[in-house]
Amino acid sequence: MSQASDFYYRLPMRAGGQRPGSHPGTSHGNGQEFVTHAPLFSHPDPRRLDVRASIRDVRGEWLVRVMRQRVGVPVQLVADVSASMLFGARRSKLAVLADLARAIGASAFRVGDAAGMVAFDTVEREDLYVPASLSRGVGHVMAAQLENPALVEHAEAGERHRGDPVEGLLQALQRLAGRQCLVFLASDFHFPLARLDEALDTLSRAYIVPVILWDPAETEPPPANGLIALRDAETAARRTMWLRPKLREQWRDAVAERRASLQTFFSNRGLRPFWAQGAFDADAMSEYFFEANA
Amino acid sequence: MIDGAPSLPLDFAQPWALLLLPLALLPLLRRRREELTFSSLPWLPEDSLGRWIERLGRAAAVLAILATVLALARPGRPEWEVERIGRGAEIVVLFDSSLSMDDEMVARGAHPKRRRDSPLRKRNVAREALSRFVERRKEDRFSLLMFGAAPFRVTPFSQSPEVIQAGIAAAGISNGLPGTDLGRGLIAALSQFEGRAYSGSRVILLVSDGAAEIDDATRQRIRDGMAKHRVALDWLYLRSANWPRLDDEKEPEAVGLITDVAMHRFFKTLPTTYKVFEAESPDAVSKAVAEIERQQNLPLEYRERIPRRDFTHLFYGLAMVAAFALLIHRGLTVRSFQTS
Repeated sequence: MSQASDFYYRLPMRAGGQRPGSHPGTSHGNGQEFVTHAPLFSHPDPRRLDVRASIRDVRGEWLVRVMRQRVGVPVQLVADVSASMLFGARRSKLAVLADLARAIGASAFRVGDAAGMVAFDTVEREDLYVPASLSRGVGHVMAAQLENPALVEHAEAGERHRGDPVEGLLQALQRLAGRQCLVFLASDFHFPLARLDEALDTLSRAYIVPVILWDPAETEPPPANGLIALRDAETAARRTMWLRPKLREQWRDAVAERRASLQTFFSNRGLRPFWAQGAFDADAMSEYFFEANA
Repeated sequence: MIDGAPSLPLDFAQPWALLLLPLALLPLLRRRREELTFSSLPWLPEDSLGRWIERLGRAAAVLAILATVLALARPGRPEWEVERIGRGAEIVVLFDSSLSMDDEMVARGAHPKRRRDSPLRKRNVAREALSRFVERRKEDRFSLLMFGAAPFRVTPFSQSPEVIQAGIAAAGISNGLPGTDLGRGLIAALSQFEGRAYSGSRVILLVSDGAAEIDDATRQRIRDGMAKHRVALDWLYLRSANWPRLDDEKEPEAVGLITDVAMHRFFKTLPTTYKVFEAESPDAVSKAVAEIERQQNLPLEYRERIPRRDFTHLFYGLAMVAAFALLIHRGLTVRSFQTS
């Protein structure tokens, strides 16, 4: 999916900022959203004169309409590039993540938002940092970073220096801490959720969309009975299983349980996770924002 | 009954191949290629069955290499000598069934008559003595052959008293057979030992009242057979009245012309032990049998050389079984997450 497919998005909350854009803002300026009337003297903009309101005014002052201006907010992709993201039966989750990056770039450009990316594995990956930019090609820049073969080698070698991915996430989020932005937090969330709270707390003013990238091969066990020898991509732990209906059931149960716990975790923070399994569906993302704004 | 087995039961014909033994540790090293990378193991269930199958597969791989290397070294049990103690002789009773055996055993000077059912008939006297002999020798295995013009086997080797007693009883039923072919009788007796493991002293007990001429070719065969099977020969010689003693010293030249004496002299040249027990009366027969019994009673000690036994094929077989198990293990392994 090299063709960027963009999606509709609007911030479902008001954002500050002076840059005109397409999201509901808090600042006054050019816009369609009426706020109040103000005397012409305090808002000397005769274009906004409201004649009917001025006539009705008991003090006989000239009133102008004060509108809220729609603002642009930076869109940030927080990308998990840890070794587990290399997994995928047909396409790696990293490839799906690259699709997401392209779609974000295209969508942000369409509505005039800046887009950027921060990446992390067990530390912040500063080499993959893409500063927020209004450039048309920013999505492709981000995708190219994610599709760089050197990244795969690095991730595979990363097995040797293991660590907590949340630690990397915390580091990466320092760049976005306290900023008002739209954050797509894309990861497979194969790490303990306990410290994720702490990480999300740093994004207090951002609107967070958790994008949960899973591969169908993770959620659905292989259909054939037999022996399967597995190695954890991140911890290099090993496990051999004899696939059989009972085990498959346990596998699916474990996936359902994880899904439920993620759902609970994000619900408690008032977030709705976006599930992407095997592929990124731009229409589903649009749907997500329609629902969020409804 | 194997004593003195060597303490180290294995030796290697090509011990340098054992240098390859460390190769057997190779399967214990895990390789990435054998495993599928998965994003996060903690969310998958633990499976002890899978773990055990995995260990079995690894053990099979180790075993396959180990057995192949050991087989290359050509293991075997070294040649060694064992002391064996043979108990229970194997006795072939070669019973002369010729017509003359129907004669009565009478004291010197009396006229021998042929009366049926007379307890004095040589045949019956000998049977009587043999029957008692067999009764007392529970540990021995007996085979009974009768011969006239041709030998025939009455019972094969057996330890069952009933069978042997019945065989001895059968020896008394018929009238005498014409002819006495001692050579064929002896060869038939020797052939009884063919293919039997040597487990104790072997005796051919020839019960006869006279011998017959044996040609040179047959003599050679008898001599060879005696040596090959290590068979001793006891001759219970039921001497007729007035016949000279076999070892008569008076006229060796003249006596030598008698067939019995000639046979006696031939038997003396046999490579194995030969004893003759001459008896001319029922009492003497009993005494002779008692003498035979005394002499054959000792347990036999002998050393046996056990040749080197090669176990290479066993180890190759083991390696093959292990490799087959490994093949099954591999066949059962899911190699890819891709379903189609």
